[in-house]
Amino acid sequence: MSAMQSELQAINVSKQFGGLSALDQVSLSLRPGEVHGLIGPNGSGKTTLLNLLSGYYQPTSGAIKLGDEDLSLASVQRRAAVGVARTFQKPRLLPMLSVLENATLGAWSHSESGFVASAVSLPSVAREDKKFLEQTTELLHGIGLGHVIHRRANLLDHAEQRFLEIARGLAMRPSFILLDEPAGGLTTQEIEHLSQVIHTLRSSGIGVLLVEHHTDFVFRISDRVTTLNVGNMIKHGASDEVRTDPEVIRVYLGA
Amino acid sequence: MLTVIVTGLAIGMLYASIALVYNVMFSTSKVLSVTTGHLSMVGGVFGAYIISVLQMHWLWGLLGAVLAGATFGWLTDVLAIRRVLARSDEHLWLLSTLALATMVQQGVGLWWGTEPKPFPRLITQEFGAGLMDQKFWLPIGMAIVMTIGLEFFYRKTMYGKVFIAMSEDAFAARARGVSTDKIRLLSYVLSGALGGLAGFAAGQLTFAFFALGHTLTLLGFIALAVGGLGSNIGALIGGAALGLLNSFASYYFGGEYQQTIAVGLLMVVLLIKPEGLLGAKNVRPV
Amino acid sequence: MNSQTTKTLSLIVGAILIATLPFWAGDQYQLHLAALIAVYWILIAGLNLVVGFTGQLSIGHVGLLSIGSYTFAILAGKMGVDPTLSVFVSGLLGGLCGLALGLPSLRLPGFYFAMATMAFSMIVNEIVLAQVDLTGGGIGLPGPMFPKPFDSPIGFYYLVTAIALFVTWLTWNIARRMWGRAFISIRDNPVAAQAVGVPVFKAKLLAFVFSGITAGVSGAVFASLQSYITPDTFVFELSMFFFVCIIIGGRGSIIGPFLGTVVLTALPELVSPLAKLGNFFYGLLLLVVVLVVPEGIGRMFEIISERLRPRTVHREPITPDLNRLAKALKVRE
Repeated sequence: MSAMQSELQAINVSKQFGGLSALDQVSLSLRPGEVHGLIGPNGSGKTTLLNLLSGYYQPTSGAIKLGDEDLSLASVQRRAAVGVARTFQKPRLLPMLSVLENATLGAWSHSESGFVASAVSLPSVAREDKKFLEQTTELLHGIGLGHVIHRRANLLDHAEQRFLEIARGLAMRPSFILLDEPAGGLTTQEIEHLSQVIHTLRSSGIGVLLVEHHTDFVFRISDRVTTLNVGNMIKHGASDEVRTDPEVIRVYLGA
Repeated sequence: MLTVIVTGLAIGMLYASIALVYNVMFSTSKVLSVTTGHLSMVGGVFGAYIISVLQMHWLWGLLGAVLAGATFGWLTDVLAIRRVLARSDEHLWLLSTLALATMVQQGVGLWWGTEPKPFPRLITQEFGAGLMDQKFWLPIGMAIVMTIGLEFFYRKTMYGKVFIAMSEDAFAARARGVSTDKIRLLSYVLSGALGGLAGFAAGQLTFAFFALGHTLTLLGFIALAVGGLGSNIGALIGGAALGLLNSFASYYFGGEYQQTIAVGLLMVVLLIKPEGLLGAKNVRPV
Repeated sequence: MNSQTTKTLSLIVGAILIATLPFWAGDQYQLHLAALIAVYWILIAGLNLVVGFTGQLSIGHVGLLSIGSYTFAILAGKMGVDPTLSVFVSGLLGGLCGLALGLPSLRLPGFYFAMATMAFSMIVNEIVLAQVDLTGGGIGLPGPMFPKPFDSPIGFYYLVTAIALFVTWLTWNIARRMWGRAFISIRDNPVAAQAVGVPVFKAKLLAFVFSGITAGVSGAVFASLQSYITPDTFVFELSMFFFVCIIIGGRGSIIGPFLGTVVLTALPELVSPLAKLGNFFYGLLLLVVVLVVPEGIGRMFEIISERLRPRTVHREPITPDLNRLAKALKVRE
């Protein structure tokens, strides 16, 4: 399937809110099977770019493409259907449902059960649901949440919530997953586990976009890194190159 | 024709007053309370009770209406808003104010009776006074006085400015030392008083009727939504529009479809422009 | 005895009680009450998907009940159409109006939408009053009976109970699978719902149409049960009652709102001081629930039982099993 080999790209995108320019002619490409870091100080436009890629904003100019398909005006749901998953800075979970139910929600776009078919509980619906629950259970065990599978989501601690959101994204069987500051509030040990998980995603052929403040973490696990500052891209390329770039150091990493 | 216009404006100004009450409550709590219409109902009922039943001077009735409204406003904050705002579920306050509104409406119904009772004359005037009848210019005058009063309050008084600060950024206001709980309580008491006043002024038009509550909540809301949430001038425009549509629909199509036409038309307006005529657009949620 | 066994046993006991009710209920009046509960539950079960699962604040469903009732009374009563067919038409019309009721939910946020639904029921009432030739205006219409064997109180009870059980089964199927999760996601985190691909607007409309159909059907049998309907029957307070049954029973559950319906319908009838208080009581109850147990009384039992069992919250660290994860990711369909 060519979609698996295609890149998710932002091509010369700009985004303006009224008179304010949040992004100015920024390009970024995310390849399958790579970890691509996106760093920059607060207000540099990282979240805006993330929102453009995932469909919560439309670009003022420029394009978002997945392979040949132009996604610029595509809805968030369309992006989910073509395999673009994301997590949020503050995890967005369903507090009253269990971990398993929360994560299984991710399988929505693969469900072929119509409303009426579900209402009358056709055997295909029951089969499909069982399959999704089993697959999600495996994902949850894999990501390290096997011990809380039936716990209600509002009883989870912060790290568990973050990992749950990632699990939900993985249940979408995505080609790309965009992580919005996933290391926020995690202990060193947990960040280590997160790195391992991201490595596994990478080996499975998923393209991971990692928006982060923990610069060590980003440079360590990314293949390529893009740096933004006040809506402009200041440097992009291989992780080591970017880390040692003088302008990046000046703007972001401090003296 | 002139009668149609004046009648429409008069009832429209009651709706506009209720929209003003919504605005005051919303400014400090970001809550749209279901009790708003009931404040007016209570003002009208208590006013009628004091003047007709207790046979006291209408000034006492006015005071009673204001006090009743203020108390009810206070109750709304203490019972229905305070504890609920602390939780993050935004729709809980709809339920709590709906619950309180129902309790008050039914309570008044149990006490006052379920029949609409006539509201007494406030100033001696012949019933044949036509367009100059007080039942018209009382609500119109009251709405205008309230709007001007609120403008003065917001621009010239300390409390008014604090209200505006809170409505723009409650977090910042708290950081500057404003006791947001106390200010919110004050705003609810104030809006309660205003609601009671409006109900009192329009009493001769609506009669003292326990079931007015929910209807006025809805119609006052439509006036608010059409004019634009947060705009007092918008409230006046929205109220006038609803009132006039109401009375014109009555005149041309008979009384049978007046609510349907007026409300239906205005719902259509809302669907096209949800922020209303003079309202501000919402910010994106992500 | 674990909780799964308890649940199954309670369901079996409940089913037996419901099936044999006409034989142990005290008198005709209580049988009538039971039938009324079933009729209300037909509507509330559908409304539950809209309010309890999708989180839409519809307080106008009494308008749909009214439409269902009048459609049935006009078709089966005035026009002599077969009652069963009339029920179907009532359901269909209810579904269509449910669609209309749900459309504004795209553009109007929470409170605005609630007011729009309130306006809807007000408009329905006005139209019913105005169309005197069709609906009898203020005088109302008789509610026709069903053919044998459903024309007796016992027969009618079994008819509405069967319909109610069927509707319950439908909603239970929706609730426990993917659609149920999708609805809850719209209620609790619409941004997350979008992110996984849930078609938010379409889902809301589906819930509204479904609730409209059940409301229409409920209206039809309601008219028959009451044997006479007037516009005064369909007051806003009835909409509130439906809504309160769901909130008190607890959102996101089927059994909770069912128990809520049973309790709230039966209580004022069986406890006469409450009957005098009428809607004041519902308002008070709603206020108490919202302030003290906003998750509903259904959740209250859960909370109590959680407190009774010793609290052992094991905080284990998150330890990924990377091989298992890799295998899980490989499964691509």
